[in-house]
Amino acid sequence: MMFDPKAFVEEKVEELRKKITGKAIIACSGGVDSTVAAVLVDRAIGERLLTVYVDTGLMRKGETESVRAMFIRLGVHFNVVDASDEFFGALKGVTDPEAKRKIIGERFIRVFEREAKTFGADSLVQGTIAPDWIESGDGVRDTIKSHHNVGGLPKDMKLKLVEPLWDLYKDEVRLVARYLGIEVAERQPFPGPALAIRIIGEVTPEAASIVRDACVIVEEELEEASSKGLMVRPWQYFAVLLPVQSVGVQGDRRAYGRTIAIRSVDSTDAMTASFSRIPYDVLERISLRISNEMKANVNRVVYDVTHKPPATIEWE
Amino acid sequence: MRVFVVDNGGQWTHREWRVLKYLQVETKIVPNTTPFDQLGQVDALVLSGGAPDVASEAGRMGNNGEYIDKADFPILGICAGMHFMANHFGGSTGPAIRAEFSKTRLYVDEADGLFAGLPKEFDVWESHNDEVKNVPERFEVLAHSNTCKVEAMRSIKRPLYALQFHPEVENTDFGMDIFRNFLKQVEEWQK
Repeated sequence: MMFDPKAFVEEKVEELRKKITGKAIIACSGGVDSTVAAVLVDRAIGERLLTVYVDTGLMRKGETESVRAMFIRLGVHFNVVDASDEFFGALKGVTDPEAKRKIIGERFIRVFEREAKTFGADSLVQGTIAPDWIESGDGVRDTIKSHHNVGGLPKDMKLKLVEPLWDLYKDEVRLVARYLGIEVAERQPFPGPALAIRIIGEVTPEAASIVRDACVIVEEELEEASSKGLMVRPWQYFAVLLPVQSVGVQGDRRAYGRTIAIRSVDSTDAMTASFSRIPYDVLERISLRISNEMKANVNRVVYDVTHKPPATIEWE
Repeated sequence: MRVFVVDNGGQWTHREWRVLKYLQVETKIVPNTTPFDQLGQVDALVLSGGAPDVASEAGRMGNNGEYIDKADFPILGICAGMHFMANHFGGSTGPAIRAEFSKTRLYVDEADGLFAGLPKEFDVWESHNDEVKNVPERFEVLAHSNTCKVEAMRSIKRPLYALQFHPEVENTDFGMDIFRNFLKQVEEWQK
């Protein structure tokens, strides 16, 4: 046994019990990492933990509702905070990827500080895993991208950080999730800055809506193809809205629309990744749906065939 | 067995630590500024990769030179760790004619030691801008690719090994086996 989830859970719950003496909140997106962290801390301190989900306005279709339903099934004490105006306001006019990530990191913390104050907590639990701090950089490591939960934290933050999954990679977190019977164990990774980093250029509610619709199509088609056995479900698969316009022809009329890039990769730990070998018929279905259903905004669809390295999985 | 990973700031330093842990070796990541005397009792070191251009930014490679000079135990240098080792023993490094990122076909020239029991050629993953231009004296090349002449080398005098590619990442075929072979070399050295 290379990684023993049972031993890990026992060790961490014990450690968390000693470490968190007061109340804590956990930043939980409903993804695998933060949900595993929430369950571990819930086992350690129970009622003294409040699970906080932030709706940034940049979540995928139906995400907030499904996460809320999962929290209810999990039986955790939670609060869903709608902060979309705050996030869009702070991101207005910003196009630099690192600036976006830092603004988002800070916005999250401001929301958590308010929630912590109301709840009387002094600790903030995060589902930070190894790639988050590795890629965020430090004294010796280059900053590849500032993950919102590490490199994006504001310097004046006073909450005490608790990060039980610090040394794990996603495949190990999934082993823990399966051991704990967590329903989102197999959910594809979704970045904290959410759709903001799938919009190259300024993040507006309109751009978010376009990339959200394209993401739904990519997810639906790849999940259907996988369930039919046409391919293995990729590690991570989504759409990216590019700030590139090109000429097209739609029903004898000239079109000048935007571009969607399909990104789909296979990986184990997100530290290396290869682009997915999606069958052409499946790519065609995605292309047809995006270019037809989204004709008002998009008239070109491309497929990203870059491995990591030299690319990263998300575009920003 | 205790094998520490010297952190030269690589993206995959922690992966090296994970592989060693999975191979049930006692391991930890140590900053490359740690003095040799403070490493404690250790049976081998892995010098990780990192962003530094070893030829012009030797300062960022901390005490790697001291480890190589003072250790009598086996050392495995990976990527920047390899470049450092090459320069340290009088070889040279410089910008690669062709950078290699991700999948690269590796051709094994010396099948014993690190590559014992492995196929003659297989796919490995890379991430490097620099390469070894001249192999130091009393070092021999163990493997190459079509775009890089020195993918692996070893000292013929001491148990020093170096790899250009990254055996610690999931996408490299037989990566775990290469680490196992290195640990076997450590065991043999101990006898």
